Amino acid sequence: MHVPDGFLAPSTWIPATGVGAGLWAWGARRVGRNMRAETLPQLGVLTAVTFVLMMLSIPLPGGATVHFTGVAVLAILFGGWTAFLCVSLVLLMQAALFGTGGMTTLAVGALTIGGLGGASAVAAWRSLRRWNRRVALFVAAWVSVVLPALATALVLGLQPILATDADGSPLFFPLGWSVVVPALVGPHLLLGVGEGLLTVMMVEAFERAQGGSPT
Amino acid sequence: MKRSRAWLGVYLLALVVFTSVHSIPWIVGGLVLWAALAGRRAPSLLKRAGLAVVIFNLSVSSGVVLIGLLDGGVDTTWLLRANLRVLLLTACTFLLVARVDLDDALAPWPGLRTVVVLARGQIRVLQRLLEDFRLGLRSRSLRRPGPRVLARHGATTGSFFLGKALHDAEELSLALRARGAWRDPGD
Repeated sequence: MHVPDGFLAPSTWIPATGVGAGLWAWGARRVGRNMRAETLPQLGVLTAVTFVLMMLSIPLPGGATVHFTGVAVLAILFGGWTAFLCVSLVLLMQAALFGTGGMTTLAVGALTIGGLGGASAVAAWRSLRRWNRRVALFVAAWVSVVLPALATALVLGLQPILATDADGSPLFFPLGWSVVVPALVGPHLLLGVGEGLLTVMMVEAFERAQGGSPT
Repeated sequence: MKRSRAWLGVYLLALVVFTSVHSIPWIVGGLVLWAALAGRRAPSLLKRAGLAVVIFNLSVSSGVVLIGLLDGGVDTTWLLRANLRVLLLTACTFLLVARVDLDDALAPWPGLRTVVVLARGQIRVLQRLLEDFRLGLRSRSLRRPGPRVLARHGATTGSFFLGKALHDAEELSLALRARGAWRDPGD
């Protein structure tokens, strides 16, 4: 889901950056409203933890591994806004330091992975936790991976419709929804299972260590 | 500080320009201009940019080639334009990072600067710890660890990092207070 620069048309990335900037300012204000001495250090440290969580491997059957995202863990334990801000900062640092993802695609990544992923995880967790906590954690993690993948695929698949040259040839991302949706969402359906299992194990281990459970 | 902000401004302008220009000679011209600005660092930065985007670009480009072959014509103009543009934009980002002091560039946003500085420092500490834990697991395992062991290792490692985050945030806030960087209302 880390889309490099040059695959999104300005008619996509400029408005997305506007929306992203608005939400970053709103999120920072929300976090800043209850600002305590721990707030900024906590954001910094959680951003670092998010960065490192994304380096953890999820083992898949057959010996393959994929990377954990940790969005659901962050959103459930520390809130959706914190997850959104931390993931945005991680994407910014990944793009600047490693070229993983781009600056023009930063807002789309933040809105899908951090925003939609975090919000959907919190919604699933709150809806299902009274029924079964483990299932709630698993579903929250699964949707936090699958929905952003779907949203990213929809944005990418929109590019050949939004921007073409005089011959009708695409100027940016060239593949339509019929190709990009199954190509991107399909693997994430499986990745979501690994993310879900690791999230359940991680949150339970965290609860045992801290002696409390997320609300 | 003014220099850093000027570079940041030029970079943001370059992003808009190079995503709005679709002529291949203009994009090549952009790469020549970029190389002139990068100077002696151009080859290493270009190599880094190429390596950073190669997987995504190869997968999209091979999809375009495959669909083109099935449809009876590969869009070589798209292949050239898209790959050159992606390379140019990524190279611009690396050039910005090489030229600009990030702390200076973020000076207008002191809260953001604090968070980024703390995060960068913590990332180094946590990356080392993660590597230590990986090596520890390997040294304790006679055979290659199976999926169950790897999952349990990942979960406990992640849980440890989350607990450490809370502890470190408290320590850092005490350090900030001790240096007069933070005052609670009513202090």
